[in-house]
Amino acid sequence: MVFNRSLLAKAALGPAAGAVLMAFMAGGAIPAYQMYSVGLAAVYTIVVLSVGLLAGWSGIWSVGHPAFFAIGAYFTAYGSAHDWPLEAVVLGAVATGAVLGGFIGYAGARFSVLYIALLTLAFTTVTLEVVNRWSSVTGGDQGVPVIQLRSALGLGTLLGGGTNAQYLAVGAAAVVLALAVPAAASGLRMRLVAAKSHPLAARTIGIAPEAQSALSFAVSAACTCFAGVLLGLLTGFVSPEPFSLAFGISLIAACVLGGVGTLIGAVAGGAYLTWNPSLSSAVGLPQPVVQGLVLIAVLLFLPGGAVPFLAKLGRSILRRVPRRPEGHVPAVVDEPADPSPLRAAAETGADTPVLLRLEHVSVSYGGLKALEDASLSLRQNEILAVIGPNGAGKTTLLNALSGLTGNGRVNGSADFTGRPLLKARATARRRLGIGRTFQHAEVFSELTVAENVLCTRRLITARDRQAVARLLRSVGLADVADRRPDELPFGLQKRLDLARAMAGEPKLMILDEPFGGLDTGERALLAQQIRRLHANGTAVVVIDHVLDDLFAVAHRVIAFDFGRTIGEGAPDTVLQDPAVRSSYLGTVDGRTRPPERVGERSMIRLRGIGHTYGGVVALRDIDLDIRQGVVLGIAGANGAGKSTLGGILHGSLKPARGARETGGAVRTSLAPEGRALFKTLTLRENLEVAAYAAGITGASLRERLEDTVEWLPPRLRDRMSASAAGLSGGEQQMLAIARALIVRPDVLIVDEPALGLAPALVDEVYDRLARLAHDGLTVVLLEQLLSRALSVCHEVVVLHEGGIAAHGRPDDPQFAALAEAAYFSGGLDAATTAVPADARTSPVK
Amino acid sequence: MSQFLLVLVSGVASGAVYGLMGLGLVIIYRATDVVNFAMASLATLGLYVAVSLHDRGVATVVGVLAAIAITVAAGMLVRETVIRPLGQGQLFSALVVTMGVSLIAESVAGSIWGDQPKAFPNLVDGTVRWSGAALPVQSLVTIAVAAVAMALVGYLFARTTLGSAMRAAAESADTARVIGLSSQRLARISWALGLGLAALAACLYAPRSGLVPTALVAPLFRAFAGIFLGGLTSMYGAVLGGLTIGVLDNLAANYVSASFRDTFVFSFTVLVLLIRPQGMFGTRTFQRV
Repeated sequence: MVFNRSLLAKAALGPAAGAVLMAFMAGGAIPAYQMYSVGLAAVYTIVVLSVGLLAGWSGIWSVGHPAFFAIGAYFTAYGSAHDWPLEAVVLGAVATGAVLGGFIGYAGARFSVLYIALLTLAFTTVTLEVVNRWSSVTGGDQGVPVIQLRSALGLGTLLGGGTNAQYLAVGAAAVVLALAVPAAASGLRMRLVAAKSHPLAARTIGIAPEAQSALSFAVSAACTCFAGVLLGLLTGFVSPEPFSLAFGISLIAACVLGGVGTLIGAVAGGAYLTWNPSLSSAVGLPQPVVQGLVLIAVLLFLPGGAVPFLAKLGRSILRRVPRRPEGHVPAVVDEPADPSPLRAAAETGADTPVLLRLEHVSVSYGGLKALEDASLSLRQNEILAVIGPNGAGKTTLLNALSGLTGNGRVNGSADFTGRPLLKARATARRRLGIGRTFQHAEVFSELTVAENVLCTRRLITARDRQAVARLLRSVGLADVADRRPDELPFGLQKRLDLARAMAGEPKLMILDEPFGGLDTGERALLAQQIRRLHANGTAVVVIDHVLDDLFAVAHRVIAFDFGRTIGEGAPDTVLQDPAVRSSYLGTVDGRTRPPERVGERSMIRLRGIGHTYGGVVALRDIDLDIRQGVVLGIAGANGAGKSTLGGILHGSLKPARGARETGGAVRTSLAPEGRALFKTLTLRENLEVAAYAAGITGASLRERLEDTVEWLPPRLRDRMSASAAGLSGGEQQMLAIARALIVRPDVLIVDEPALGLAPALVDEVYDRLARLAHDGLTVVLLEQLLSRALSVCHEVVVLHEGGIAAHGRPDDPQFAALAEAAYFSGGLDAATTAVPADARTSPVK
Repeated sequence: MSQFLLVLVSGVASGAVYGLMGLGLVIIYRATDVVNFAMASLATLGLYVAVSLHDRGVATVVGVLAAIAITVAAGMLVRETVIRPLGQGQLFSALVVTMGVSLIAESVAGSIWGDQPKAFPNLVDGTVRWSGAALPVQSLVTIAVAAVAMALVGYLFARTTLGSAMRAAAESADTARVIGLSSQRLARISWALGLGLAALAACLYAPRSGLVPTALVAPLFRAFAGIFLGGLTSMYGAVLGGLTIGVLDNLAANYVSASFRDTFVFSFTVLVLLIRPQGMFGTRTFQRV
């Protein structure tokens, strides 16, 4: 930890304020009847700080702290009665608190915030019951006096309820506050916050959330027990009354009121708890009512707390911070890219020893095999790309490598630098030399950019800070090092994700869709980063859907589908493998298109539609007219914006820009991607609920239900009372379409009906859809496989990166080539197979 | 033996009350993501109204219905004024807000009706003799009424389209939205149903405990223990967990120590949770990247 001057000054603030306060107390500036209250406020400050920092840093809301407070106080009373020295009482109370708190924190790490709150509530209840009934020690509801505690170190004797206890309380609060300042700047806090804001991502940089929450709960509980000792000395008498459940609730109010996790907020909260009774009598309402009202008002109107709110208000008055315009990309320290690094590197790659070898690795979740029998080997100094359509098992493969398979069953063997990999815990894999990034840039949103990287270190030295600064400079994040990630555009968040993984200097870097969501310039930069990583001796495994970028950096490509390897080769040849090509494009078979009955009536018309998710552009400038009776295919790779467009056509998703018009009363119905059936409901209930949602009840519901059941294949008809969870993928898809049909839609939108289905079932589903179209239903088909869209639709729209890259009719002989080019690269002007990125992407400004 | 039978029946009767209350908590939680801590104190307001009516000579059954109506009305008011403005997905804030509501409601009850214990009328008096034990009829009626209420809830959820819709929305709010279910309407129905069950449970519990503003805190906590045991999202779990807690609680009070019954009950619950964090019937969730 680095002590710089401002940190020391801040740390000194607490003791300084304490000293001034004590001087006032000694000088008689504070009236005698308020002296006790000041001491009490100091004690409460420690408790509020313990609860608030636990919540702010670890995300654990404890309602159990009244119990720890009580334990400390009764320790004092017992010690006083048995003539224990002061130091023994403090040590005993702190140790008891630490052990109990550590246990609760460790056990609690597996539960959600809500469960921990309720479990700690139970802890308070139990402790209060013990306190009330164990009268031989606690005096029951009569209470026990604290006469005096003598110091074993010869520091004198403290009288229970005496003035010295008040000074001690103020002094102790000052010291605790002073200690909290460097703690707030330490790697410890960063690791706690990291574990809280994204436990899974934290594991990949070696932070175990259980250990973090055990530690923070132990410290918090120990401090509260210490405050309990002070309370016993301050009041000179300990009874159960101050430790009620209502106190636990008020504690939370005090934390939120002051601002969770802020030090001044804790002082404000302590003051609130102390003078709440006076406040209540001043407004003439019972104390619990005031406590309840304050609690509700704060949570509703100032959820961030009063102190941060005032501070923010003050700052915004003092200076107006100009926001960096969206999409601005800070420059990277630019090295001219080697014109042909690829081939040279590939050659060196071939000679280097094997770094990673996977043999017959499979991952299954319940009955679902997400990865089947994957085998691959990776040499040091090699960049391996893994491709495959959505659901092929690519991310599962990466999760198996980084240990994030959750409760999935992992079989097979993996060897990394000569050591078995699959048995190692996720938190241990960073030490082994594995780093990874995430598809959606899972950064720690409550830490600054620099802290996101710093938290990979346990103890932060000045050299670590310099190294991190260098790293941030090299990826172009130096300008924003003190900003929060959520203020940054998505592209910079992804760079941060990469920087965080690079901080561990891994031997193997795993990149999960690094190009997804980036614009052209950012993708070129990223490619450069990947090459530089490789030049520094790191092996890379990368998956993505943006094939041309991927092929521009990779030495070797492995293709996956249905959880297994289907092909392997060099980037420029792998797409020539028919198996690989058809896994993306599908195979064109003899399927016939339904006769075209397109009328003139426009069912849905989109004008200038655009949509974004948290700054990531999903759709832009979409103009589309869906005429009655058409079968419209919307094709595109994963992430091209199909589902978003489907939701907008359906009307359940409101576009950020543009207009959606319907030609009269048009009822739309959506069979969502992944079927989205209600698995706990029976087949019949799934259909009923959809009809009920459309306002169909009684006899007409029964009639529709009968019609729809008739439509289903016989093997489903016989199982209407079985739960939908037991259906196979194809059966689920039939039911999902039936559910969409029960409302008798004018337009049916089906999102990826073939996803994860065996070929025979795909044919069955498509036959059914063709028959519906034959009967005149307007159908919008969202389809990942271009050839399938071309073979069954009257009209096909190809989406590429959120925009319409091609729009035409499959019976036009020119269209297939045009659509294929659009599918892979957004248009005919770009080649369909890989060429080095430098040749295509525009240079960085 | 007769003593054991007495304890067992009284345990099942308590358990039926905890189970009913837990069922109310689970129904509300599944539909709205709110653990409604204020349920017990809102039901207490209902109980006071019922007692006031009883004191004026109104039939007990009418009083019970009034208690349910008042509790449901108070609950709806709370939801519309302080829960909905919080927004979706605020699990902890919502819990704490209901804690605040509970502080206020208890205090209001105390200032209107006083803190002195009041007697709450039995629905029926007397005992029946069975295998040598004198079983209070009230206990048997409690078990019967709770069983009928649970059966009706079971019928609603398993056999009606409304019930299917409520289960559907609880399983996936997103899909429910895609097929056009009105989640607000379902949430209101769930909220009313949950509070109605809590009020009924309160009316069954109060004759044994007497009525003070905090009378229902103990059964609420035991209902919590029950839903922890059963899993926060399982309706069967709430009922079975409540029954388990009721029986354990009475066994502990009679054969272990009357003073430490909650300590016993919660220690047991925590032990079970350490072995099975999701409870006996809860489902485990897994975060995917």
